Amino acid sequence: MTSALAGVTGAAAEPASREGRRPRRSRRATPRNTLTKGAALGLGVTMVWFSILVLIPLAAIVATASENGWSQYVATLQNPQTWAAIKLTVGQALLVTVINIVMGTVIAWVLVRDRFPGKAILDVIIDVPFALPTIVAGLVLLALYGPNSPIGVHWANTERAVFLALAFVTLPFIVRTVQPVLEELESDVEEAAASLGASRTTIIRRIVLPSLTPAIAAGAALSFARAISEYGSLVLLSGNLPFRTEVVSVRVLSFIENGNTASAAALATIMLAVALLVIVVLDIVQRRVSRRG
Amino acid sequence: MVEVSTPVRWALRLAAVAYVFFLVAWPVALVVRQTFSNGLDNLIEAFQDPHVVNALELTLMVAFWAVVINTLFGVTISILLVRYEFPGKRLLSALIDVPLSVSPVVVGLALLLVYNGRDGWFGPTLEANGLQVIFDTPGMIMATCFVALPLVIREVVPTLTEVGDDQEQAARSLGANARQTFWRITLPSIKWAVIYGVVLSLARSLGEFGAVKIVSGNVTGRTQTATLMVEAKYQNFQQGTAYATSFLLILVSIACLVVVAVLRPKHP
Amino acid sequence: MSIDVSGVTKTFGDFVALDDVSVSLPTGQLTALLGPSGGGKSTLLRVIAGLETADTGRVTIEGVDATRLPPQKRNVGFVFQHYAVFKHMTVAKNVAFGLEIRKRPKAEIAARVDELLRLVHLSQFSHRLPSQLSGGQRQRMALARALAVEPKVLLLDEPFGALDAKVRKELRDWLRRLHDEVHVTTVFVTHDQEEAMEVADEIVVINDGRVEQVGTPDQLYDEPANDFVMSFLGEVTTLGGVLLRPHDVHISTTPQLAGAAEGTVSRVLRVGFEVRVNVLTDDGEDVLLVLTRTHARQLGIEPGVRVWVTPASGALTVPSMKAAVG
Repeated sequence: MTSALAGVTGAAAEPASREGRRPRRSRRATPRNTLTKGAALGLGVTMVWFSILVLIPLAAIVATASENGWSQYVATLQNPQTWAAIKLTVGQALLVTVINIVMGTVIAWVLVRDRFPGKAILDVIIDVPFALPTIVAGLVLLALYGPNSPIGVHWANTERAVFLALAFVTLPFIVRTVQPVLEELESDVEEAAASLGASRTTIIRRIVLPSLTPAIAAGAALSFARAISEYGSLVLLSGNLPFRTEVVSVRVLSFIENGNTASAAALATIMLAVALLVIVVLDIVQRRVSRRG
Repeated sequence: MVEVSTPVRWALRLAAVAYVFFLVAWPVALVVRQTFSNGLDNLIEAFQDPHVVNALELTLMVAFWAVVINTLFGVTISILLVRYEFPGKRLLSALIDVPLSVSPVVVGLALLLVYNGRDGWFGPTLEANGLQVIFDTPGMIMATCFVALPLVIREVVPTLTEVGDDQEQAARSLGANARQTFWRITLPSIKWAVIYGVVLSLARSLGEFGAVKIVSGNVTGRTQTATLMVEAKYQNFQQGTAYATSFLLILVSIACLVVVAVLRPKHP
Repeated sequence: MSIDVSGVTKTFGDFVALDDVSVSLPTGQLTALLGPSGGGKSTLLRVIAGLETADTGRVTIEGVDATRLPPQKRNVGFVFQHYAVFKHMTVAKNVAFGLEIRKRPKAEIAARVDELLRLVHLSQFSHRLPSQLSGGQRQRMALARALAVEPKVLLLDEPFGALDAKVRKELRDWLRRLHDEVHVTTVFVTHDQEEAMEVADEIVVINDGRVEQVGTPDQLYDEPANDFVMSFLGEVTTLGGVLLRPHDVHISTTPQLAGAAEGTVSRVLRVGFEVRVNVLTDDGEDVLLVLTRTHARQLGIEPGVRVWVTPASGALTVPSMKAAVG
């Protein structure tokens, strides 16, 4: 799961250098078709499956939401309970993303540059939220922060519970995008800066952090997108109290359960749009930074 | 490499360890401890509950098919994306990642809108031909496939790019046809990436909750998976069973992580 | 003729890699495709192997029209610059690959692999993985692998390009000796004119997607078809509007020969047994000469000395069409 966004953007955009020994490599940028008969068949079959599974269902959401034009969106957003859910979700997702930017970078730094017994265990634990079923994540957090908390912290059914759940499920994103970049960061660049008289803080601020920015941005985008769409870990933990701890996903679910698919689809479309927007914006930031670097 | 001063290093180390400890390690440990608070009673009770056994079997079955489908799909798409040029490739490579940022609830809704038997786009036709998707296993497998879709691809694409096509071309020049080249050269060189992808997909598939909840109808003993069982048992105040089932799920997911962690460094 | 290429054109987007190339390569010889990087020689080799398909033109191998044949049906051995070893197979398995594809009997495969590994001096490494071999060993293994299927032609794409200078020289001599032993029609791509001159029976000079000249190393050196071939095959200098080799410039400290250009020695550099002298003529030409040390000492060549330079009698000269590359 490392270099989550980088893998996708890098695969399609090969650098087109004219000086390459073999011109065939440098000319990949021009769109052309190199599919053999077998490959074309493979592409056909996989595209049919991809459409059946992903494209048509997502299109169905947008189509259902748009059946009544814009009024459907307006009506959905004007519902005060829905609006409260959106505000809570976006607010907590932003907060969690900010915390992740700080803590994720710190943890990545510690994993790469520090050495202490038990570091390997820390490294594995970071991935636990990726692998743990979300419902179990909720149950697990309830054990420490719920009514039977051994440390006397009773955050269940409060806004803090939403924060906890989102922080839990998004923990690995920034750590795992920053870690490989930090590992590959050439120490001779830092040494060069030091030999030129830069202080430690200057090196970190001017050399290390700028090279980490694209990775942090990519991780933050994933983290935010995941946070606003989270559902499973909140079911047991947050109590889903309207106007207080109800997030957008829960709202969508209750629309579905009440048979109000039009409103569910409208709200789902908004979620899709926000997630898409964040990813596109941060992808642009990332490209700009990496080009400058 | 810049050396941070000792107090700063300790502060960072402490912050990182404490954050992960309070957020992940301690809560997980508590659930494991509570599972065994009465010895093995919770686990025994859980395994004696036919609904739990049923849910575990269903979960395994759904996860198995989802992983098989996603592996076939993922390896095919990865090879197409890395080894071939075709119009729309860039768009496809972007779309592949969409499932990662779609809420499980939205996934459930999307499948519901197309495949429900009452007023879905395709549902009524499919049901008239004897294929029920929603509130049955096909829908649950599809929902699981959807959420775990990019995992194999994300592992295989970078490896395939890095390995390059030199070995494949050498095999072709030595007389191997497309099929022989795939089985003897391509697949062995991406073997570990495929295995990681499968393990990650398996963990994700076993743990899917939201999407499956919507498309399955959550019928106890019939379409209730292990994760849905955890919710139901917990809310029914059968917390022992909920903890025991959770413990099994934690065990499997940590086993998956350990498998990946142990294999990965040897085959970068 | 073993390989006939006629009218082959290959473009990548708007880049023309091969422009109407026709060339015939004789059976049993060792031919070099020589030219600067990006000039199209690797593309030509890959078109012959079937790893690229030509836009137009025909490729015939041993009398069979191979233009539309996929690589696996051409029966050519191909050796890649970066070895393209099968990383997950042992050395022996790598060499056996082509034979296993052809479903030869096990005993026959084992015997043939044994023989080939002995030929490339890798017998004691047969059970190692390629990652345990050095670059030169890997390339020899790749060569054995290509030879195992008894190809009609052996194609090598910059086979020694990724190796260090010493190993490269060793492998070069070894390839020459190997070819004398097995006599398979061999074509190799190189951008190193010394490598081509030393190893090849025949050289095809390719530049900008076109064949500049075909001939033996001696022919190319002594009778270059144009200024490109002349300057690519060795050092050249310009004197009075013609290209010539620096050792073909006659120098004297007195005006002996009519038509000699007068100038001043601007720089003297001793490299081992030879002395490299730059003369700036009064017409503003910078002429490079190579003399022996004895000769330079006899003439008393030093910076600032007035000299007369002219092409030596019998010197090979080519009209300079564009600025000399050397």
